[in-house]
Amino acid sequence: MTGEALAPAALEAALRGLLEERYHHRHPFNLRMHEGALTRAELETWARNRYYYQTRIPRKDSTILAKEGADAGFRRAWIGRIHDHDGERPGEGGLALWLELAGAVGCERTEVEGLRFVLPGVREACDAYVEFVASHDLLESVASSLTELFAGDIMRVRIAAFEKHYPWVRAEGLRYFQSRTRLAPRDAAFGLAWVLDHAPSPEAADRCVAALERKCEILWSLLDAIEAAGRRPRLVPHAQVRFDEREGRTLVVLPERAVALNESARELLALCDGEASADALALTIGRRHPDAPSAYADAHDFLAHMERAGVLASAA
Amino acid sequence: MSAPRPFNLVAELTYRCPLRCAYCSNPLDWAAVRDGLDAEAWSRVFHEAAELGVLHVGLTGGEPTVRADLVGIVTGAARAGLYVHLVTAGTPLPPSGLDALVGAGLRSVQLSIQDAEAAASDAMAGTACFETKLAFARAVRERGLPLTLNVVLHRGNLARVDALVALARELDAERLELANAQYHGWALRNRAALLPSRAELDHALARARAARESSPRPAILIAMPDYQRERPKPCMGGWGQRTIVVDPSGRVLPCHAAASLPGLEFWSVRERALAACWSHAPGMNTFRGENWMREPCRSCPERARDHGGCRCQAFALLGDAAATDPVCALAPERGPILAARAAAESPPAPGLQHRRASAS
Repeated sequence: MTGEALAPAALEAALRGLLEERYHHRHPFNLRMHEGALTRAELETWARNRYYYQTRIPRKDSTILAKEGADAGFRRAWIGRIHDHDGERPGEGGLALWLELAGAVGCERTEVEGLRFVLPGVREACDAYVEFVASHDLLESVASSLTELFAGDIMRVRIAAFEKHYPWVRAEGLRYFQSRTRLAPRDAAFGLAWVLDHAPSPEAADRCVAALERKCEILWSLLDAIEAAGRRPRLVPHAQVRFDEREGRTLVVLPERAVALNESARELLALCDGEASADALALTIGRRHPDAPSAYADAHDFLAHMERAGVLASAA
Repeated sequence: MSAPRPFNLVAELTYRCPLRCAYCSNPLDWAAVRDGLDAEAWSRVFHEAAELGVLHVGLTGGEPTVRADLVGIVTGAARAGLYVHLVTAGTPLPPSGLDALVGAGLRSVQLSIQDAEAAASDAMAGTACFETKLAFARAVRERGLPLTLNVVLHRGNLARVDALVALARELDAERLELANAQYHGWALRNRAALLPSRAELDHALARARAARESSPRPAILIAMPDYQRERPKPCMGGWGQRTIVVDPSGRVLPCHAAASLPGLEFWSVRERALAACWSHAPGMNTFRGENWMREPCRSCPERARDHGGCRCQAFALLGDAAATDPVCALAPERGPILAARAAAESPPAPGLQHRRASAS
């Protein structure tokens, strides 16, 4: 072996530099949240969807505990994350605090807990995180958790932003953020020290940086999906909606083509007023059809399809 | 035979046009065809078309905006519930004239340009109109209407696909139609100067596909010159199947060029209801469906897709409208197509003839 080990300080600098560039504190959705520019509907979409992420965290941590190289000392420290998340008894812990936040921003708590109305893109991003940890070794898995190095700061910014811009969110709703300002730095310190101790070669250091980069991508794409769900679709102004009596169906007529709508498409299109967000529209459809588990996701798919087909456009 | 439901109406309001493009698909004797329908008569046609199931009407020509009663015509089409689409050269209607048309119910516009640059475009049009067209395009978008830019491709402009795409983007067109010239009417007369070589065509197609992959807007539609294909185009979606053409005189046709076929009797909305003209005129039924087909079409598994190709082409090239479209590699007689292709491999013939009133 001739490769020089990356000095721990250099690896730490690389990890922090990456976070400075790629962590989601720079994501447009978070920037708008912290400027006070989000609508209630957008906050609801965020809180409801981000809960799905919270539910994946104990799974991810359980997977890490089971990994080769997670010795008793490691497990003793890491298992605390699961306790923090699930609480000592029902109604406590990070998951319960998040439900309280979701309720405080206006979500229906049972809907949030039921995980029925999760954006396809959010589900995909969160599942990708669990899958990443399942398919990578302990070092990369721990490195991927180091987004926590920046979590404490973003929580402080968020608490101030909520108090200033969203005063209608009652104070108890902010307890999750407050708990994280305390826990994230503690967890991050352990994770960072462990990674710096266990990345003996430049190759291992590169894998740590790559793992953290992947995690940043996952968090970013999660917010991309939430941001996109806030768009407000409406029928393009030059479309003509008409009932076709000969074939007994509704048509959207456009230049040189026509798109036929089935009953559920017609129902959804009638709601697209350029005011309601895509997510609010899909929620309305999902709630109207409690017996159709895929109604919410189908509505999102349909909106995207109709946008590609030039039937719907989003209000600026 | 029961006629199928038509979905489109092509309303040729006039054959008059301030442009003189050498690839015009209007009949050679266009000047002898008078504008036979006033706005009221067109309005009746639109209502009858809507009853037959038509969704779209394309107001075309010639140049439809030479008609002084265009606002009344648009009003009639919109009141009939049709989706009103204007196919124009962007002149002589001034941009401000769009307001009344939009107010009357116009929903979308297709604008033709002849090339990506003024000199070449004006040369093909036979008149200086390129800048006027660009101003018209901008006026369409300023009014929020979707714009389709249509360019007839031929040997003289085929190399400028990239510039055409750039222009379409600059004008914020929703669609760009790159329509290789179809050799009917004046275009057939000028074929030797217009038909591209295979290499020229392939280059243009590659550029168009690259542009399509680089961005979803504008949507790029490519109509191949069927002379360079091995199978015929599904002309008009089938003779008398989906589209009604009403020519300026009021004659109801299955396509723009069908009046050139000898011995076919078409009827006029000046004398009969549109439904009768569409369903029962002898000429409409001559090539409707598959009974007219000979071998190899009659037993061909592809006949449902191409409907036997283009009857006007069979007549123009072989003198027999019922012959197999000579574009098809399976056709017994392909001589004129192969000869035209071979000629296109040589430098273009000089002597482009612009459209004029007398074809002699």
